[in-house]
Order: sequence, then C-alpha cells, then structure tokens
Amino acid sequence: MNTPLTPQSLARRSFLYRKLAGLGARFAAGNEAAIAASFGGADEAAAARNLGLADLSPRRRVGFKGPGAADWLASQGVTVPEINRCAAQADGAMLFRLGANDLMITTDIGATAALPDRLAAAWAALENPPQSPRGFPMPRQEGFCWLVLTGQHAAAAMAKICGVDLRPHRFAAGEIAQTSVARLSAVVARADISDTLAYQLFADSASAEYWWDCILDAMQEFGGRPVGTEALAAVQGAASGRA
Amino acid sequence: MKIMKCPMNGPRNISEFVWGGEVREMPDPTAASDHEWAEYVFIENNTKGVVREWWMHAPTSYWFIAERNTETDEIVRTYPATELYNSRREFK
Repeated sequence: MNTPLTPQSLARRSFLYRKLAGLGARFAAGNEAAIAASFGGADEAAAARNLGLADLSPRRRVGFKGPGAADWLASQGVTVPEINRCAAQADGAMLFRLGANDLMITTDIGATAALPDRLAAAWAALENPPQSPRGFPMPRQEGFCWLVLTGQHAAAAMAKICGVDLRPHRFAAGEIAQTSVARLSAVVARADISDTLAYQLFADSASAEYWWDCILDAMQEFGGRPVGTEALAAVQGAASGRA
Repeated sequence: MKIMKCPMNGPRNISEFVWGGEVREMPDPTAASDHEWAEYVFIENNTKGVVREWWMHAPTSYWFIAERNTETDEIVRTYPATELYNSRREFK
C-alpha cells in the first residue's frame, strides 16, 4: 500500500494545511499542492448538503486588474458579467467581477477548467509594453484563500458572521457581496453546486487559519463540519446524473 | 449599526468604511506657495453642516464621495468620484 500523501511532500501547500491535517484530512495532489479530498466519517456528501466547509485554496486562480483588464478579457473570448456578479465560462471556469477593472478567474470544483492557465499564458505572451492597456496580473493564488460553504444551513451560518443578507431569496445565484465576514474583508459569491446552496468565499490568505476557525465555529450549532473535494464532486455529480 | 450606501456595493455597515478627508480643489503644485500647499495637505475646514468628503469601502478599496451633515452625522448622498472628476487634469 502506498504511503498517504502529505502536504509537506509537495512544493505548494494550502494556507490551512496544518488545520486540515489536524482534522484528519486525506489529501490528493493537484496544481502542485495537496488538497483535502476527504475527512472521512459517514456520508460526507450528505454533510455537504447539510452544512459543509471545504478548502479549495490550492486550486488554480488568476486575477487581472487595472485599466483595460475587462476589455482585454472580453477580447480573449471570456464572458464578462456586471460588477459584483460571477459568470461560468464555457469550460466550467468561473469569472468573478470585483470591480470595473478587477477580475478573478478560478478553475471549477473538479479542477478540469484550463481557462486560468490559458489566460495567464496569453497575458504573459503579449508584447511589453502593450499597444493598448490591459491591466496587470493580480496574484490571487497567493493573496486569497478560497473556501466553499455549502448546504441548506449555509445562509443561517453566514448570518452569524456577516452583515449582508445572504439568504437565497435575497441573494441570487451569481451575485457577489464584497463585505466583512468574521471581521475580515472578504468576497462572498453565490455559485450553487447543482441544487445545493454554495457560497464561494475569498479573503486575505494571511488570515486563513483564523477565518477557517471562525466559520467552523459559526457552523457548529447547525451540525456543520469540514468536507473534502470528493464530497463537493459527489454533490455536483449526483444531481446531474454523472455520479 | 449605522448603514452607509456605497455607490458600487450598496448598503453596508459603517464599520466597513474609512473616512478620507474633505473633497477640495488641489492647487496647481507648480504655482502654489508652500503655505497654500500645506493648507491643502494638512488643514481641515471642519465645517458645521453638510460637507463633501472622500470615503472608501475597505473590502473593495473603492473610493467615492459622500455628502454628510457634520452636525447630525446624517449621510445625505453618496456617489462615484467620476461625478466630480470626469476628465484628466494636466499641470504644466
């Protein structure tokens, strides 16, 4: 039997790898880092449908900011939504528009979308200085941690740590709220996983461990627990019949 | 908690905002005297009544302008800075 993968054995680590390992996570490799695939226990997918918190920090994401960034992305065939909205792209990648010219592109839950890599390569391959402004790359991979809060109690748990009304009937799928979550400036985007309510959460990576603890604490009274990427994939797959 | 309306993000708790000082005309940096420049950089008018101020929504680093009554602390109106500054200003 192979020895289990540890975060320390790979070049990159999640900002939360000590917490995740302490919670008994089983790791899988991806994007040169170990991602928490499962925490074990009975029916993790059911836990994700009830109230689950997953760490996607090692997953690929890129950002572009500054005058011309939105136009440049549109010229790359990317669907650019309104400010404070997110939009799924053709290959499943997600684009989060955080300002007129502040955009972040992430891969999907299953990490199959290659759009972030393609855009980073396309940006770097352009002539320098550029003929027309196209913004500058933002190191979102390093600057933001990326958590996903899922399940029927997600809105109730968020209400304890966030002043914005995120209940599903007030905060539609595809909306973004940039606000304070557990006293930390954060991006909250509603991007449901199939028919399960899900908030994509981004905040300063240096405070990731603090944030993780705060959110888990808020989830406790609803029976929430950490879940791995396999549970998210199961939630996604079950509804679309691919499980 | 007191609520302020950010022109980009909508209504938010006042704790998410940072005050940025009075809105005022910058004197021509090449022509202004040291006294005029120091006045512009350091001195607040501290007007009683409705004033125009810079405010920032910290989670987005978005700067905008608010009209606020300093006597009642009532926020009269908030709007994007482009409403006042809509073209590039050159100094020779």
